[in-house]
Amino acid sequence: MTAYLAHFLVMVAIYSILALSLNLLIGFSGIFSLAHAAIYGIGAYASALAALKLGVGFWGGMAIAAAVGALASALVAIPSLRVAGDYYVVASFGLQVVMLAVFMNWTDLTNGHAGLPGIPRPNLLGWSIDQPFEYVFLAGFFALLTWAICRRLTDSAFGRVLQAIRDDEIAAQAMGKNVVLVKIVVACISSALGATAGSLYAHYITYINPSSFALHESIFIATLVILGGSERLTGPVIGAFVLLAIPEALKFLAIPDAVAAPMRQIIYGALLVLFMLVRPEGILGRARARPR
Amino acid sequence: MRTIRSAFCTFALLVLAAMAGTPAVAQGNPIKIGAILPLTGSGASYGVWMKGGAEMAAEEINAAGGIAGHKLEVIYEDHAADASKAVNAMRRLVEVEKVPFSLTSYSAPTLAIQPIAAQSKVVIMNGGGQSDNLADKDYLYNNIPVVSNEVGVIAEWLAKDRNLKSAVLIVANDEAGRNSAKTFRERYGAAGGKVLAEEQVALDGTDFRAQLAKLKARGGDLLYISSYGRNVSIIADQARELGMTIPLAGTSWVLVPETFKSKGAEGMLVTKLPFDPSSAFAKKFKDKYKTDAGFFAVQYYTATRIFAKAAEEAMKKHGGALTGEGVKDAIESIRAFDTISGKLVFQANHGAVMDIEVGALKGGKVAVDKIIKAAH
Amino acid sequence: MDLLLQLAATGLVVGSLYALCALGWGLIYGTTLHFHVAHGAVFTLAAYYAYVAQKLLALPLVVAIAVAIIAAALSGILIDLLVYQPLERRGALRTTLFIASLGLLTLIENLLAVVFTPDPLRMDIGWLSGPVQLGPVFLTRLHLVSVATAAAGYFALMAFLKHTRWGQAIRAVSSSPDMARTVGIDLRRAHLLTYAVGSAITAPAGILIAMDVGVEPYRGTTFVLLASVAVIMGGIGSIPGAMLGALFLALLENLGVWKIPSEWQSTISFGVFLVFIVLRPRGIFGRKIQSAEI
Repeated sequence: MTAYLAHFLVMVAIYSILALSLNLLIGFSGIFSLAHAAIYGIGAYASALAALKLGVGFWGGMAIAAAVGALASALVAIPSLRVAGDYYVVASFGLQVVMLAVFMNWTDLTNGHAGLPGIPRPNLLGWSIDQPFEYVFLAGFFALLTWAICRRLTDSAFGRVLQAIRDDEIAAQAMGKNVVLVKIVVACISSALGATAGSLYAHYITYINPSSFALHESIFIATLVILGGSERLTGPVIGAFVLLAIPEALKFLAIPDAVAAPMRQIIYGALLVLFMLVRPEGILGRARARPR
Repeated sequence: MRTIRSAFCTFALLVLAAMAGTPAVAQGNPIKIGAILPLTGSGASYGVWMKGGAEMAAEEINAAGGIAGHKLEVIYEDHAADASKAVNAMRRLVEVEKVPFSLTSYSAPTLAIQPIAAQSKVVIMNGGGQSDNLADKDYLYNNIPVVSNEVGVIAEWLAKDRNLKSAVLIVANDEAGRNSAKTFRERYGAAGGKVLAEEQVALDGTDFRAQLAKLKARGGDLLYISSYGRNVSIIADQARELGMTIPLAGTSWVLVPETFKSKGAEGMLVTKLPFDPSSAFAKKFKDKYKTDAGFFAVQYYTATRIFAKAAEEAMKKHGGALTGEGVKDAIESIRAFDTISGKLVFQANHGAVMDIEVGALKGGKVAVDKIIKAAH
Repeated sequence: MDLLLQLAATGLVVGSLYALCALGWGLIYGTTLHFHVAHGAVFTLAAYYAYVAQKLLALPLVVAIAVAIIAAALSGILIDLLVYQPLERRGALRTTLFIASLGLLTLIENLLAVVFTPDPLRMDIGWLSGPVQLGPVFLTRLHLVSVATAAAGYFALMAFLKHTRWGQAIRAVSSSPDMARTVGIDLRRAHLLTYAVGSAITAPAGILIAMDVGVEPYRGTTFVLLASVAVIMGGIGSIPGAMLGALFLALLENLGVWKIPSEWQSTISFGVFLVFIVLRPRGIFGRKIQSAEI
C-alpha cells in the first residue's frame, strides 16, 4: 500500500533529523546524551501549543520549537558540562525524566496524559500539506536541510574544534580553546535541530502525548546513531532507515502486538551489544585502528 | 566491511518492496471493522471482556449469513491504555484497511482518534470510556453513559443516604480519572459534601503510599477512588496497610477481577451498570473463554451488533456500497436498537442512558442497595 | 507531624533500597570505572530469580532469596567476563563500554518482559506482610527487614573492604590500578570479584521491592540511574558517601511530597542533583576531580 510506504518514509526522515542532530553530540563531540527524546518532545509540544493556543502556523511553530529546545538544553548543559562526560550522562537522564514529568503533570499547559489532539497540518501559502506523499517531500526537505547544516558545521573550523575536543579534551583546552563554551553551543544547536523534528512529528500525526517522548525513545535515537556509524553524516540516516525497517519486517512474522514492542527492544539492545563488540564504529564508520 | 553494508542494503530494499507491493484491500467481500482495545497492560482484564464480546457477536452474525451476505471480520488492535498507540492503530485501520467503522475504548485514546474519525468519515463506537468529553463529538457514538451519570448518583448517595459528608480523593492522572474527579467535586458539593484533598496516581503505578499517607493526614469520612483497572486493588490494599479505616468508594470502573479478590476493597461502596451474570450470554461467554463475563463483554457484543444492523441498513440504501458516512446516517435514522439488555436509544449527544445501581462490595459481589432508573 | 513521621519512615525504607543499589554500583564504578548501567538489569534479574525459585521451583522463601542472590552475583560476573573484559582487551573507549552496557540493560529487561509479561508478579511473603505500628507510623514487617538489610549490608561491605585480603585488593585497584598491578594483583580477577560483591549487595534490593509491590521488568533502569546520582552526590570512591547519598535522596523525595504535589516526586532528585554538581561536583566525600578526569 503506497500510503504505508509514504508513512514509513516520513518517519525515516523525522528520525534522520533526530539522529543527525544527536550525532553532533555523540559522534562529533563525544558527549553522550540520554535526553534527546525530551528535546524531541519539547519541540513537539512547543509547536503544537503554538498552533492550538496561539494560532501560529507550522513555520512559526517550528521556529518556536527550535528556540525552546535550544534554551532547555542550555539550562542543563551549562551546569553539567562544566564537569565531565559521565556527569552529563546522568544530568541528561535527569532532564529526560523531568521533562516527561512536565509533559505528564503540567496539565494546564500540556493536557497531561490525554495529550493534544487535532494539531493542524502545515500550510504552504494556502496549500495544505495533507496527503502522505506531500508530507514525504516536506519531511524529506527538512532532513536534507538538517544534513546540510550538520555538514557545514562539521566541515568548518568549529567542526574541527569539536573533533579535537572529542579526541583529546585536555589538549584542546591546553591550546586555548574554550571547551565549555563550544560544548554548550553544540548542545544548543543539536537541540534546536532535534526540536524541529518534534515539530514535524506533531503536525504529521496531528496528536501528541507524553508516552512518545520517554527514555526508551532516547535510547532508540542513540541506537540509530551508534549503529549507523557516528563518524560520517550518512551513518545516522542509514541507521534510521534500517532500524525503522526492522519492526516492519517483524510484522510479516505475525508476532502478537503485545510481544512485538519488547521484541523490537530486544533486537535493538542485542544489536548495540554486538556492534560494540564486533564493530564499534557502526555500519558506515571507518574501522578504527585497534590497539593490542 | 562490504558484506555488512550490502546485507543491510538488501534487507532494507526487500522491506521497502514488500511495503510498496502490499495489495490494496479488496472491496466487496469480507466487511472489515476495527477494534482498538486495552489488550495488554493495566486494563487487560477489560480487554478480555471487550474482545470476547465482539468476537462472540461476529461469530453469531457470520453463522447467520453475515451482513447482507458478506462475512464480518474484526481487526483487533491493542492500545494498552496509550493514546499514541490508538492513533497509530486508527491510521492503519483507516488508511490501509479502509474500514468504515471501528470499536474503540478508554477516554483518552478515543478522544485522540476522534478527529481522525471525523476527518476520514469513519464511525467509531465506544463501549467503555466514560469521560464527559466524549459526548457531542462528530462520528463518535457511545453506547455507555458518560461518567457524570454514575458519579452524580454515587456522590448524592454517599452524602445523603450514607451521611458521609467529607471526602478525600485519589485520582488517576489521565483524562478519565481527572474528568470523573472534577464531576465528583461538583455533584458531591451540590449534595452537601466537602472534598478535603486530592492526590494523583499513575494508572500503571505500584506504590501509592506517599499519596495515601498525605490523604490520611487530612482525615475525611471516605476515600473516593477515581481510578480503574489494576491499580484500584493496590490502592485499597495499601490504604488499609497504612491504617486508613474509612470507607472506600468508586464507580463501576473499579469492578475488575483484581478488585473483587482484594481484601482491602471489601465493603467498598460502588455504582454498577446493569449486568446479569445468569443470562444466556454470560453462560455462553464463560463456556467459551473460561472466565466470568462482565459488563463490558455485553457492551462490545452490543456495539458490534449495532454496527451490523446499521451496515445492513446503509447497504440497502446505497445499493450494496458501504461507507462510514452511510453507517453514521443509518445509526442516526434507526436511533433505537434492540439489545440483549433491552432497548438502547442513542441520545442527541451521541450517548446512551442506563439504569444505575448502588451498593457495596461483599465477598466478590455487589450487594445492591438502590436502583436509580434512567430518564429516557 | 504524624504525616511527616510517616513520610520520613517511608523515606528510610526506600532509602535502604537505594542504598543497596548505590553501594553495589558505586563499588563497581569506583573500582573499574565502568558506567555499568546494566547493574539495573542485575537488580531486576535478582527479583525474577527469587520469583522463579519460589513459584516455579517451589523453594521456601529464604532459600529462594539465597539462591537469587548467588545467581545475581554470577550474572554480574558473566556480564564483566563476556562483555566488558573483551571490550577492554580491544582497547574500547569508555563510551563504547557504556553503550554496550545500555544495550545489555535494554536487552535483558525486554527479554524478561517477553518471557514473564510486563505485568507485576506477586510473590508469597507470608508473615512479612504483617503490619507494624510504631507510634503514628504504619509499616509492614518487610519494610523493617529492608532497613535492617541495608544496615547489615553496609557494615558487612565495610568490614570486607577493610579487613579481608580480597577487600584490600579491591581498594588497591580502586585507588590506583597501576600500583595494584605492580604489587601483583591480577586486575581481571579483582574486577570479577568486584562485580560479584557489587551484584550480591544490590540483589536484596531488587528482591525486597519485588516482595513488597511485585516483580516488574522495567524498574531497574530508574534504580540504577538514581544509584548513580547517589554515588556522585556522595562522592565517587566513597562507600559511606554512597550510603549517605542514597538516604539523603530518598528522604528528600519522600519529605518533598509533604509540600510538593506527589506527581513531581522524581523531579526533586534531579533538581537537587543539578544544584549539587554546580556547587560541589566532587560530592560529599569525593576526591577532588579534574574537569576531564571522568
